[in-house]
Amino acid sequence: MKRVPKPVFFVVALLILLFTYTSLFGIKGKNGDNTVTYLKGVGDIRWGIDINGGVEATFTPATSAKATDRQMDSAEATIKQRLIGENITDYEVYTDYNHNRIIVRFPWKNDEKDFDPQKAIDELSATALVTFREGKEYTTETTGSDGQPVYKTPKGTTASNIILQGNEIESAAPEMRRDETTGVATYVVGLKLNESGAKKFSEATKRLTGQIISIWMDDEMISYPQVQQEITGDTCEIDGGSEGFTAAEASSLANKINAGALPFKLTTTSYGVLSPTLGRSSLSAMKLAGIIAFSLVGLFMILFFRLPGLVAVLSLLGQVGLSFAAVSGYFPFLNSFTLTLPGFAGIILSIGMGVDANIITATRIKEELWTGKTLDSAISRGDQNSFWAIFDGNITVIIVAVILMLVFGPKNILSYWFGASTTGSIYSFGYTLLIGIFGNFLFGVVTTRLMTKSISRFPFARNKWLYGGPADKHEDGKMQVGGAAV
Amino acid sequence: MKTFSIRFYENRRIYYGISLTVIAVGLICNLIFGTKLDIKFKGGAVLSYSYTGEIEPQKVEQAVEKALSRDASIDVNKNVRSAESGEVANNVTISFAGTDSITPANQTAVLKALQEAYPGEKFGTVSTNSVNPSMGQSFFLKCIVAILIAFLLLNLYIAARFRKIGGMAAGFFAIFALLHDVAMVYFTFIIFRMPLDDNFVAVVLTILGYSLNDTIVIYDRIRENRRLMGPKTPYRVLVNTSINQTFTRSVNTAVCTFLAIATVFVVGSAYQLNSVVAFALPMMVGVVTGCYSTVCIAGPMYVTWENYKLKKRTLAAERSAAPEKAAQPRAAAPQPGTASPQGTAAGPKAPKTASRRKGKKRKR
Repeated sequence: MKRVPKPVFFVVALLILLFTYTSLFGIKGKNGDNTVTYLKGVGDIRWGIDINGGVEATFTPATSAKATDRQMDSAEATIKQRLIGENITDYEVYTDYNHNRIIVRFPWKNDEKDFDPQKAIDELSATALVTFREGKEYTTETTGSDGQPVYKTPKGTTASNIILQGNEIESAAPEMRRDETTGVATYVVGLKLNESGAKKFSEATKRLTGQIISIWMDDEMISYPQVQQEITGDTCEIDGGSEGFTAAEASSLANKINAGALPFKLTTTSYGVLSPTLGRSSLSAMKLAGIIAFSLVGLFMILFFRLPGLVAVLSLLGQVGLSFAAVSGYFPFLNSFTLTLPGFAGIILSIGMGVDANIITATRIKEELWTGKTLDSAISRGDQNSFWAIFDGNITVIIVAVILMLVFGPKNILSYWFGASTTGSIYSFGYTLLIGIFGNFLFGVVTTRLMTKSISRFPFARNKWLYGGPADKHEDGKMQVGGAAV
Repeated sequence: MKTFSIRFYENRRIYYGISLTVIAVGLICNLIFGTKLDIKFKGGAVLSYSYTGEIEPQKVEQAVEKALSRDASIDVNKNVRSAESGEVANNVTISFAGTDSITPANQTAVLKALQEAYPGEKFGTVSTNSVNPSMGQSFFLKCIVAILIAFLLLNLYIAARFRKIGGMAAGFFAIFALLHDVAMVYFTFIIFRMPLDDNFVAVVLTILGYSLNDTIVIYDRIRENRRLMGPKTPYRVLVNTSINQTFTRSVNTAVCTFLAIATVFVVGSAYQLNSVVAFALPMMVGVVTGCYSTVCIAGPMYVTWENYKLKKRTLAAERSAAPEKAAQPRAAAPQPGTASPQGTAAGPKAPKTASRRKGKKRKR
């Protein structure tokens, strides 16, 4: 057996404790008045709407014909614009082009006491009113959830003088222009107007050359280009001014302008609302359940397996830490993951399932000790014999966890036939189950073995009784066949 | 060392009886109660409000039915304690008949009707669920397909894995055990009258993985013991020994998993968190049955099957040997022939006395 140095136990145990502590509580510092998060903890986890409270709604165009992809994009852009304008962060919007559905999920706003979810759903799905107005006078300026300023409610001439309505715009599309001399590509939004629109626009651009014509969706200004010349035809371009548009900005603006001319209304086919009160109660209950479950399993392991049980508890602590770290965005390479109630239940379930690796190994060590092996060889044989059993057992759970993620994920292999999922709460369960299995491998196998081998070299930990073996040395010689019936 | 020597094969009729009884009870309940689908699967609408003061369900029902001209059933849940603040609240849940969804405007009308009926009380939205029937159905289909895919993949895994362990027969009984577990989880939903929802899919898939894991560990041990104990050992002894050896581990893991999920169930019930309970209760049952089906169903059935095969082979060997009076090496496979006297001719009775001598710590 390769000897593991004595201090390894303490180094590994300390690392596990450190990791678990930071993954639960995070590391935060102060930079002036701002709190800087260096490592994310449980407090930074994005909770699902079943915990935070929130709204999930599915919108479908009220049209018998299939909406085009561009029309769906446009409807999606409208919804996003409104969510950002309402300063709602953490929203999710999925568009299912095959089934003409837009699924929106957004949490309850933290500061809002009397949030009316019905109103919010109605507002999101209302037909967009796109207008081109003279000047850019607005009443309020706030910051949207994407960090950009939001200008709301036109006033003065901007309020009184509407140049174009959304239905006078036939189409808007992002286009690329390449400067022939420099070869630099710029993005613009190309507009095509209908007859009445072209006429009105020509008059307005003649009068307002050199001034601003602002573009509004509902009550919010989305762009304010300057008129460079009179536009006489039925097409024109909006460029991004001195800074220019990126491809994404151009396509986003085009989608929003198109929303004003969508030939259909959005209807709410399905929706769900959950109050934050119920959600927060559930979260507290789950936290309580997690602590109790961990204590019970830990107690069981220590009473039943003694020293290996204690080692198992340390490893299990690391596994729980890993589960939270994997959802909170603790690791820079893993994005944060929305944690729902079933997801939390998955973490607790994997506490129970996770000790399996430790149980298999500890049981094997115990068996080997009873056949009369020395402590060192029992530990090393126990490790060897149990690896494949652990591996096998985990493979089957990995298969089901992956399927759970594939089925309940927002977009997945089955979406093509059945449409995007309306519920994401099980998705999170699949993920925590999967992470639990990886944690089981990493901690239940790797760190457990390092710690067991290292601690077994201390004189106080030489007693076989501590490993479930016979306490009395004299009984060592008694032979038993393979642990079969005595 | 404490070892188990439970005679799983000999007790098999008790286990089959237990399983069949549960299945029978489940089937009867299924006939009486029917299978309820959650609105997530069939479409429909359920609204839940918190309220202050006192309300009468009948008056609420009338007000709501008048507002939407649609049948509704009312469920009042008093003294729901919040796990966060300890505050106590009363909730009223309105379930609409039929599978049609409602619109946000409908919901506003419901709230208005409630407030008109009880001007003095304050109503607050707790949760709302309104699902379009066609979306519900496609979600249901998707879930069924998911379970089938999982089953297919696990079968492929079983086929690949059991080629080494116990051949197709062992694989077949592993699958049988899985079906047994799915049935048990399903009947849990039926007996407790919980509507099937996405929790059902999550639990079924998890239990499939969990139960198969157990089965593989046991069959792996059977293979190992076949090598150690030699080909002459009867299947009955081989399988009993293997199950007993892995029994500590099976039970310990099941106990730990059960402890964890039972805690969730107890805490969830204490605070009346329906979605948590609907997840934890069938999972608890699944953990128990996942361990049970492997140990008490798949193992003994495998022995019965192997014994039956032996019997057939010996008979065939005797028949072909008798007229020709010479051993036909092709017809009589040498290995099973040697093990036959104990396994087949004596039947299930004779081995009992033999193993009673061995198993002195028989559980009773």
